[in-house]
Amino acid sequence: MKKRGLTWVFASLLVTMLAAAGCSSSAPPAANNSAESPASNSGNASNQEKVTLTYALWDQNQAPAMEEIAKRFTAANPHIEVKIEVTPWTQYWTKMDTAATGGVLPDLLWMNGPNIVKYASNDMLLPITDQIKKDGIDMSNYPEALINLYTVDGQIYGIPKDFDTVGLWYNKEMFDAAKIPYPDGTWDWAKVKEVAKQLTDPAKGIYGFAAMNANQSGYYNIIFQQGGFVISEDRKKSGYDDPKSIEALKFWYSFIEEKLSPPGHLMAEWDAAAKLFESGKVAMMTHGSWKAVEFGQNEYTKDKVDVTYLPKGSVSNASVIHGLTTVIAANTKHPEEAWAFSKFLGSKEAAEVQAQTGATIPAFKGTQDAWVKAFPNFQAQVFIDQAATANPYPVSKDTSKWNALETEYFTKVWGGEMKIEDAAREIATKMNEFLAQE
Amino acid sequence: MKATVGTTTRKAAIGIHLILIFGALLMVGPFLWMLLTSFKTLGEATQVPPIIFPKVFQWKNYADATVTLPFFTFYWNTIITTVAKVLGQMILCSIAAYAFARIEFPGRNVLFVFCLSVLMVPSQVYLLPQFLLIRDLGWLNSLEALIVPGLFSAFGTFLLRQFFLSLPKELEESAKLDGCNHIQIYFHIMLPLIKPGLIALAIFTALWSWNDLMWPLIVNSSPEKMTLSAGLASLQGQNMTHYPILMAGALLAILPMIVLFMFLQKQFVEGISLTGSK
Repeated sequence: MKKRGLTWVFASLLVTMLAAAGCSSSAPPAANNSAESPASNSGNASNQEKVTLTYALWDQNQAPAMEEIAKRFTAANPHIEVKIEVTPWTQYWTKMDTAATGGVLPDLLWMNGPNIVKYASNDMLLPITDQIKKDGIDMSNYPEALINLYTVDGQIYGIPKDFDTVGLWYNKEMFDAAKIPYPDGTWDWAKVKEVAKQLTDPAKGIYGFAAMNANQSGYYNIIFQQGGFVISEDRKKSGYDDPKSIEALKFWYSFIEEKLSPPGHLMAEWDAAAKLFESGKVAMMTHGSWKAVEFGQNEYTKDKVDVTYLPKGSVSNASVIHGLTTVIAANTKHPEEAWAFSKFLGSKEAAEVQAQTGATIPAFKGTQDAWVKAFPNFQAQVFIDQAATANPYPVSKDTSKWNALETEYFTKVWGGEMKIEDAAREIATKMNEFLAQE
Repeated sequence: MKATVGTTTRKAAIGIHLILIFGALLMVGPFLWMLLTSFKTLGEATQVPPIIFPKVFQWKNYADATVTLPFFTFYWNTIITTVAKVLGQMILCSIAAYAFARIEFPGRNVLFVFCLSVLMVPSQVYLLPQFLLIRDLGWLNSLEALIVPGLFSAFGTFLLRQFFLSLPKELEESAKLDGCNHIQIYFHIMLPLIKPGLIALAIFTALWSWNDLMWPLIVNSSPEKMTLSAGLASLQGQNMTHYPILMAGALLAILPMIVLFMFLQKQFVEGISLTGSK
């Protein structure tokens, strides 16, 4: 009985398999850049071909705003539909790299600084310089640093979508308890250190400052502020062996050496500093505008912390600025429609939709108020003001290669295995080798 | 004398049970944490020091998880993919395994080594070639892309071949004497005897298929063609993740696997001890 049961199962499985195989071969192949067949033209609206654009992005938090923008775009252009496809951040670039190799990139995709040169110089993207000129788009509406970030070999590849800058976050309660006035735009790094000493309380496990092993929200800012650099302007030489860069890095790490910051191994852990800040163990830290959403929702930080301008270095108090853009894939079958949507994404209307969600600061000049208002407890305007003087996020063709060096060597430093100046020089040597190959 | 033996064994039993209970708590801990987190608010979930129980159970997180994502589509896709892969592997791998184990044909060993060598190559290496194949077949963004590459596996063939090899040759010979051909031998005699192997393979395939993350994300883009694990991953933001909703979604996603485990507990354990992998 048992045996026969099994036989029966297998026989039926084989039949199902064959049937399934038959089905799948007769099914129409699903194309990625799905242009609907011309048959779907409905006569009454227009005789334009119905087009569906695919738009890839990685942040689910921003998906609702993007859907809203797409909806408004379709309302104005009924023959173009935009399909939003979210791929999680951790797999996004693997997916895009694979799709790029296969020539099947989505029509439009989110792009960031570290990847733009690689994609643009391998001819994976359509430049939009001519369209910008033709349609008379005023580029002065966007932060210059970001336009430059997405300009490769003189060609612009995307209208800036949003930006993020870094500020000095601080715990108001701790400053009140110690009767120290809150930090403001007049502070320099010496002052931060002096106050960090006063606020550090080893008995309670409280530290005055968190010196994170993080580039954009951490040491990049101070490197620029002290007159150093990460990569030369022609993207041929590393700045990690520059004396001023090394001086800045040494100062940054001195917070850990002097025990004014939580121990190095902890500060090398992703997001640990923010978690300590959220639990009242850290009085001050530098962190990006993107943290406002989280700090604003956290039970502890929502009314106990605030943010101000970065402290001054010897040259400036400038922040590093980074931002995303939407680029058009070279393999798109609908370059004109893709440009139309790209243009709409860069418009004031789209920027305002983004601002309202608070998820990100829109790049379009004058639309940031709604974002600032989304955080009534914080002086969020600081992040907007910092954009004017900000330094562009450093990139080259293979940014990820030397980003990996930063992680590798600085993790050793923060783990106490290496001196920071030695690590910086090692990074410079290897980074110069990579840059020579680009 | 007898009494002391009794108490020592009893003491030993208590000791063993204490260790086992401790181990069980250790194992179930993360799961319970996940369950509790799924009922918290975002603030409660990220609070340091962490709190164990939410003040108010947020059932809403489950509703949110199913609203944020087309959960039922994901379920359906995952079930179809998993069932197809399990069936495919049971049939195709067992046929191939039977041939490798029982039929003498020229080039058999060379072919088998080729088959085995697939096991040695890390899967990242054939990610791109497989992607290009699927593209050329016009299967990007389809269920076929999820199913077809998983219909057969070198591992399954190897596993079942070992089972076939362990069966006595006499069985086959007497069947031959009775006039059976290979198909009949395979179907009526050998296959029922390797049932434990087939069940183990089915369980592994189901688990792998259910949890596969990278491949669905690479070949498919639209939410309508996503699987549960891939869809859930998109709940993770770059800068911020709503952990309670993510945990609620993850719990909903693993529910069928837990139910499956409860029914097939014995086979699960046997399968793992038979093959030494999980």
